[in-house]
Amino acid sequence: MSGFIKGLLRLRRGPWEMVASVLIAAGVVMLMQPIWITLYTWSFVITLTGTVMFIIVSHFPE
Amino acid sequence: MSFSVTEASGRTKWIAGILVVGYALITIAPLVWIIATGFKSGPDSIAYPPKVVFEPSLEGYVNLFTDRTRATEDMLEEAGPPETWYDQIARDQGTIITGPSRYGERFLNSVIIGFGSTALCMLLGTAAAYAFSRFRVPLKDDLMFFILSTRMMPPIAVAIPIFLMFRQLGLNDTHLGMILLYTAVNLSLSVWLLKGFIDEIPVEYEEAALIDGYTRFQAFYKVVLPQAATGIASTAIFCLIFAWNEYAFAVLLTSGTAQTAPPFIPTIIGTSGKDWPAVAAGATLFLVPVMVFTILLRKHLLRGITFGAVRK
Amino acid sequence: MTDTPIDKAAQATPEPLARRIRGLSDRSIAWIFVAPTIFLLLAVNIFPLIWTIRLSFTDYRVNRPNREVEWVGLRNYERILTDPDVWATMQATAHFLIWTIVLQVLIGFALAYLINKKFRGNDLWTTIIVFPMMLSPAVVGNFWTFLYQPQIGLFNYVIAFFTGADPASFSMIGDVHLAPWAIVIADTWMWTPFVMLICLAGLRSIPDSIYEAAECDRASKWRQFWTITVPMVLPFLMLAVLFRGIENFKMFDLVVQLTGGGPGNTTTLTSIDLKREAFEKWRTGYSSAYAVILFVTVFGLASIYVKALNKVKER
Repeated sequence: MSGFIKGLLRLRRGPWEMVASVLIAAGVVMLMQPIWITLYTWSFVITLTGTVMFIIVSHFPE
Repeated sequence: MSFSVTEASGRTKWIAGILVVGYALITIAPLVWIIATGFKSGPDSIAYPPKVVFEPSLEGYVNLFTDRTRATEDMLEEAGPPETWYDQIARDQGTIITGPSRYGERFLNSVIIGFGSTALCMLLGTAAAYAFSRFRVPLKDDLMFFILSTRMMPPIAVAIPIFLMFRQLGLNDTHLGMILLYTAVNLSLSVWLLKGFIDEIPVEYEEAALIDGYTRFQAFYKVVLPQAATGIASTAIFCLIFAWNEYAFAVLLTSGTAQTAPPFIPTIIGTSGKDWPAVAAGATLFLVPVMVFTILLRKHLLRGITFGAVRK
Repeated sequence: MTDTPIDKAAQATPEPLARRIRGLSDRSIAWIFVAPTIFLLLAVNIFPLIWTIRLSFTDYRVNRPNREVEWVGLRNYERILTDPDVWATMQATAHFLIWTIVLQVLIGFALAYLINKKFRGNDLWTTIIVFPMMLSPAVVGNFWTFLYQPQIGLFNYVIAFFTGADPASFSMIGDVHLAPWAIVIADTWMWTPFVMLICLAGLRSIPDSIYEAAECDRASKWRQFWTITVPMVLPFLMLAVLFRGIENFKMFDLVVQLTGGGPGNTTTLTSIDLKREAFEKWRTGYSSAYAVILFVTVFGLASIYVKALNKVKER
């Protein structure tokens, strides 16, 4: 866990990609869940953030 | 027999075999049903209980390739006795052939667009794959991802601007437009697959050729291409199958001259209600070539469906 | 020198031109080779994409070209993302997505596991199982409507045969409750082989030596399955799941031919809804925003997919 945080602080690719992936996955789940429409409304923003983040952080060093 | 911990016992193999064969039989049942229905007569095709044994008939195929009209007594008299065997089959159903149907054209369109886009795609794809495999291309990973992502896009979403663009350029419902579109869609697959195949060819062969005084182009033609021949062939078949099967773009961007078979086959109807033998006949002629190609491709299937990532 | 056509062509090339070709640096060759591909993809994918994004902020309608186009800002996005009907199509998609993936993974993995027992003739049967996946979804989907016919359909007949129900008493594509399952069944039939092939590759990538070592440690078969087989196949399974997820998120051809989105809106998947908005109601601006939402979602999933792909590649 501390390795993960250290990786984030040092702007390493692995942990940041993980964060972006989790955001994208969360956005997709929010988009299609049948429970709460507010989640649906904000899903796109989350997915977009995750996707943009992924593009940026995939250029961080390993 | 030598004992091995990873080799399954004879009994396990039998059980596994029976289960897999059982699944295979269930899974091809609908396909066998399509082919069988194509050779049924109209009443046989909608009989209850479904007929497994039936008298074969070419009614479906005749109906597929002809336009017919329901004949009255006068019309039958006027037309005289049936001249050919297919005339006879049409008469037996109480109809008269009025001309050829559009299935032939649609099938030909599929062939033209399929082969056209495959050829273009292989030309561009091989060159790009070679460059990505052998040279230092700036932003290589990003470009490769960009190329792959173009394939992932939902066709309906892409079709909106393509529709507008094609309308401006006069490419709507033309063979050229569809060839260009399918080439663009298939490029991702061909570049990724071919890069994998070319990566496997040792660089030493080319280096030797270069030392022998070949130019880069010559080395590419004479050393790399022959080595990659099987890879290129199987990639081409994949592209062909995709272009052959494609439906979404075809149904949205073509309506007449360039319409391919997949949007056309579901629209086949008879003189009274849906003519299932004709639909099945059309589907059979359309699907069987792909099954043959699948058998040819079986060694490379896995590569094809994973963009060359999994090689077995 | 040999006499192949290429050699002749090379000899026939005028000297200055030949020198120029030979003189081309690898760098320029790389560009010449890559440029056409990139250009075509830019023209057919990126340019339209930018156009879509632009249109998504307007109220443009294709069928009224002479009407003044107004900028509406984010209103299209707002309308889509607060519309319960669009939300409902997302849920229909989710139902389709989740069940097809669950069924395909279970059946696909089981089949791969059995085929990997290497019984005689397994290659032949694998090829037969793969057939549905290679066929045109639209043509096959159209034919499945025939199999699903009440009374005369083969599917109804078989179900009736085994359950004793009247084959005319239920309609897979006409019933609100059954239609979502009708598309799940057809898709599972079609795409299980895909998951199977990838799982098979995963199973075959496990070296025998690992099992042999486990056997020496007297680990039970059951334990070996959960501690060796499953974890080793998992990356491959991830790949298959992600790919099927992306494909079924944008599912159009099979389902539109099977049910056309009906009955009611029970099988109106997102792509079918988008097609209606864009090509039947001609609300181009609105559907562009809709398309952008799908683009971003798929693009995000594709990034994760490529990550999974690289992980498998390292194996």
